[in-house]
Amino acid sequence: MNTPLIDVQGITYTYPAQNTSKGQTHPVAALQDVSLQVQAGEYVALLGHNGSGKSTLARHCNALLIPTSGRVLVAGRDSSDLAQQRAIRDTVGMIFQNPDNQLIATVVEDDVAWALAVRGFSRAMIAERVEEALAAVGISAMRELPPQRLSGGQRQRVAIAGVLALRPRCIIADEATAQLDPLSRAEITALLHDLNRRYGLTIIQVTHFLEEAALAERVVVMEQGRIVMEGPPAQIFADIERLRQLKLAIPEPVELAQRLRNAGLPISREALTVEAIAREIAR
Amino acid sequence: MKVMNEISDTIIQTHDLCYTYAAKQDKALQKQALVNVNLAVKRGSCAAIIGVTGSGKSTLVQHFNGLLQPTAGTVVVDGVDVGAKGADLFRLRQRVGMLFQFPEAQLFERTIYADVAFGPKRMQLGKHEIRARVLAALDAVGLPPKEFAQRSPFELSGGQMRRAALAGVLAMTPIILVLDEPTTGLDAEGRAEFYYYLQRIQREQGVTIVLVSHDMTEVAALADTIFVMHNAHLMMQGTPRTIFSQGERLREYGLAEPPLSTLLAELRQQGVEIPEDTFTIDEAFTVLSRRR
Repeated sequence: MNTPLIDVQGITYTYPAQNTSKGQTHPVAALQDVSLQVQAGEYVALLGHNGSGKSTLARHCNALLIPTSGRVLVAGRDSSDLAQQRAIRDTVGMIFQNPDNQLIATVVEDDVAWALAVRGFSRAMIAERVEEALAAVGISAMRELPPQRLSGGQRQRVAIAGVLALRPRCIIADEATAQLDPLSRAEITALLHDLNRRYGLTIIQVTHFLEEAALAERVVVMEQGRIVMEGPPAQIFADIERLRQLKLAIPEPVELAQRLRNAGLPISREALTVEAIAREIAR
Repeated sequence: MKVMNEISDTIIQTHDLCYTYAAKQDKALQKQALVNVNLAVKRGSCAAIIGVTGSGKSTLVQHFNGLLQPTAGTVVVDGVDVGAKGADLFRLRQRVGMLFQFPEAQLFERTIYADVAFGPKRMQLGKHEIRARVLAALDAVGLPPKEFAQRSPFELSGGQMRRAALAGVLAMTPIILVLDEPTTGLDAEGRAEFYYYLQRIQREQGVTIVLVSHDMTEVAALADTIFVMHNAHLMMQGTPRTIFSQGERLREYGLAEPPLSTLLAELRQQGVEIPEDTFTIDEAFTVLSRRR
């Protein structure tokens, strides 16, 4: 196997103690002995409820956080090496839950150009990359609009375009769909899959939605700062009770499929989407 | 007599409600946010308002406590004509509690008790009355005062913070609760807990709930009536069962039925016989398990 694009080696991370009105809080171990290898071109879902540690882990994959112990290598670069952090963040881009925290310019195309301008790219190069990034996320027609005029899903596309313009090898979507309506949520997930297929872009989708995890190549489930399950979706979804214990909402179609299977109907465990489950039941 | 009963049974009634966002300089920039909306919400029920961003649903609910007043038409909430000159909006706002998105951003006091007491204090109630209301409100949202009253709101989990904010609204003893996307960003457990307490409050206190949400599985489980907004118009209204059996129409408005309804529609298309009124997972299981 090739060298992984992201290689998390036995990391532990402890949030520093904070001063609050009630005095000092104790340091909290948010990650405990976590190892994870992500290959170039993979689509990984990082699944868990709020507070399980999934976002903390994701933030270690582009040097936003540096492990307390253990190490993280991104394309062979050690994230604890300050001199490498810019290169790491250019390799692994990140989008967040609320696109508005990430949009800064008054017009869509300026926003997408921002990171390139900061890095001193030539005008011609910026124009070319912005064009390409806007087209890749399907919002070329909105380039001259102010971001506030766009819907939540469209603003999230702008944020993705801004990251794409830097031509990263990996995008981490940290709960990027959590604030969107169901249709926009499905569209953003479809876009991430499209980018994965078309450009071989590595995707790490941090989510608490099983519907989204079902579409990934590999699912990594976190609980209390540890990885507790890992495997292809069909394998993870085979243990619905365990997922429920992990405070994850089971999509009703998946639950129905399992109940029918338990009642003796021949429904494949591989069927995890509405379409696939319908095909299995109708068979 | 029957007519009278029906009238008093309705707690929110709009008649040809219109609202146009004003643009003083340029008439071309005026935006019609609501056009001839006619709806009635039954006392003690849960009404869900669904629609994509910009469909008018937030504009609509802001009329329910007089944050906005109609440009044309009327809104009557618990007997108060919201658009009338001299309408007692102060009293209305005490009776209609609003919880907006990310309400935890509005928590600010040092203790949860002080935060929940903020509203009743401004109502200039007596000390004992305030205390009784705060304790009852904390109990109602599952934050027992003994354990939580003296803690900082900022030590709570995301779901607990939302419920602390809800307690702050409840302490005003509203008769209508308007909730705008109250569980956005919470995980499954946080959502389930929030709705568990909300339903209990509806049942035990007879509070009318107006819920703006895009989580259709939740809407299906909670709402008695659904109102569908699209481009400033009220396009559909009915029970979850009837609304969610019209997936194609919902998609025209950028919405979708809950995933289970999508699955059942898909199965019908593939020739599986499923009664039109099949709606819950138990009903679906009963119908489909006979196919063995």
